Amino acid sequence: MKPTNPLHSQRGASTVRVSAGIAVIAALFAFPQFVESPYILHMMILFFLSTLMGQSWNIIGGYTGQYSVGHAAYFGTGAYTTLILLTTKEIAPWYGMWVGIAASVVLALIIGSICFRLRGPYFVLASIAVAEIVRCTALNLTNLTKGAEGILVVDIPAFKIGETIITDFSSKVPYYYIALVLALVIIGVTWLVQHSKLGYYFQAIREDQDAAHSLGINLTIWKNSALVISAAFTSLAGSFYAIFVKFIDPSTVLPLDLSVQIVLISIIGGIGTIFGPVIGALVLVPLSEALRSNVITEGLIKIGLVSEESGVGIFLKEHLAHAHVLIYGILVVVVILFMPEGVLGYFRKMTTKKKGGEA
Amino acid sequence: MDFSVLMQAIVSGILVGGVYALIGIGLTIIFGVMRVINFGHGDIMMVGMYMTYFLFTLFGVDPFVSVLITMPLMFLFGAILQKVFINRILGSLPQNQILLTIGLGLIMSNTAMLAFTSDYKILTTSYSSSSFNIFGISISEPLLISFLITAAITIGLYWFLLKTDTGQAIRATAQDREAAQLMGINVKWMSILSFGIGSAMAGTAGALISPTYYIFPQVGSAFTLKAFVITVLGGMGSIVGATLGGIIIGLVESVAAVTISSDWKDVVVFSIFLLVLLIKPSGLMGKSRM
Repeated sequence: MKPTNPLHSQRGASTVRVSAGIAVIAALFAFPQFVESPYILHMMILFFLSTLMGQSWNIIGGYTGQYSVGHAAYFGTGAYTTLILLTTKEIAPWYGMWVGIAASVVLALIIGSICFRLRGPYFVLASIAVAEIVRCTALNLTNLTKGAEGILVVDIPAFKIGETIITDFSSKVPYYYIALVLALVIIGVTWLVQHSKLGYYFQAIREDQDAAHSLGINLTIWKNSALVISAAFTSLAGSFYAIFVKFIDPSTVLPLDLSVQIVLISIIGGIGTIFGPVIGALVLVPLSEALRSNVITEGLIKIGLVSEESGVGIFLKEHLAHAHVLIYGILVVVVILFMPEGVLGYFRKMTTKKKGGEA
Repeated sequence: MDFSVLMQAIVSGILVGGVYALIGIGLTIIFGVMRVINFGHGDIMMVGMYMTYFLFTLFGVDPFVSVLITMPLMFLFGAILQKVFINRILGSLPQNQILLTIGLGLIMSNTAMLAFTSDYKILTTSYSSSSFNIFGISISEPLLISFLITAAITIGLYWFLLKTDTGQAIRATAQDREAAQLMGINVKWMSILSFGIGSAMAGTAGALISPTYYIFPQVGSAFTLKAFVITVLGGMGSIVGATLGGIIIGLVESVAAVTISSDWKDVVVFSIFLLVLLIKPSGLMGKSRM
């Protein structure tokens, strides 16, 4: 038997867990064969994308304890680099996204060199300020970014390997698979981080910077490493978003609200855990989409709680869709007040309590 | 650069800076007493703006007179927010406090969106665009009135904090919460009071800029950021610092708009913010709390 780390013994490669994981992944890969509804596929893609965003932030915020509220900067950099290269130089997105990652990594190192001198709330404020500078710059460099007008692409070039066309992006299915793979990759990366020396450095910094420093952990190097990993994947999420939605402008890919949403995915699920951001995305995406697409209002009308002709019905129909971020606000308040370890942490605690009670 | 244009920018910068100072003072009092950075500060201000708007359109109350109604109502609003939400997380991690106030801000702005739609509302008074000339510099009437009201409120607040027992108790709590508690000060009550005062200041600032600014649900976040810049520049927790910081940021914005370009003025402001954070994070008047 291999010696196992006592901290992770329950998380060890128990056969049940591994086979359950493989079954879920297989089901997700087979999913588009059975479900053709573009709406459901769209929701799944958003779920994978949110997982990617939340999990990327989790590496710097959850594992390393550096609450960056400026991750929109990397998301926007990925999105803009990809689409600018596509529209002006006709460079296909799967090359452009690497340039986007490179640009985001450089940006992360610059931001890191400024912000990591600061701690706690000052770090948070600095990360916001830098992201706002990036947003204002994108808004004003109209030659490059078209400013507030945004960049629109009509056609995404077909993805070819050699001469074989893999996909021409004519349906949602290729996006589904790309997003799924990206989500799996980031979960894998997080797992690797958590179980490596790197992850122990990160967590040591999170628990007590000064203690970590006195033990010889170089704070600058490891904080920047965490930020670079996080920024690279956030940038990838931005590139994916850009070719999926085909339109970007500073108010959709660079605003403070986006930075906040990225943090909330992770917080609501539970930070510093592998499945926290997945749970966060699983909770948030359906709820905010339900508000956005008026499903909730229609549901209320259907079950007869609200009449369609009544003032309330008309009002909800018209306005509820605009307030889909409301759910983020309510959830984060509930989570912080009642489940400070996130939804996942809360349920873990509940189940261990139960087990303890039975024993 | 024409000298009169620059003078013009300086004058209107100072006038706008007065209102900024009020926003900053609100944030800094809350931070001073509770060590909570209120990320919903701009949204509280937005609530004040809507309150003023509806007082004006429904009841015809002049925006500057409405301060008399807005201020106590916003004080109550803030006190309730503190009692119900903020109070529960006073001892917890700073990041959780930040996230809670972000969440409250999101709830406020999105509820406003739900109730009033995201349309821009404009409050037009008879004097909204009137101005007068002194030495060839035109001074906007609503800006001047709001500056004078701001000055009066700030002086009143100074007096309250320096001369009254309650004010001194608030300052004592800000200096050392435990020591204050040992001296028999009800620190919980001081926290409620200071969040109320902070919200009243933000709401009043909202009322004062209503005649010259667009009113919409998302207006808050820009002002939250501005409030951070102002308070960090002045020194977190310092009221004199926030007053100075507000005027300086008003000036910088206004002068940067005419000397560089109005598109880049936010970049200038945030760059100054970063420089202050890096060089002197304790700000102009504050002691370092790092």
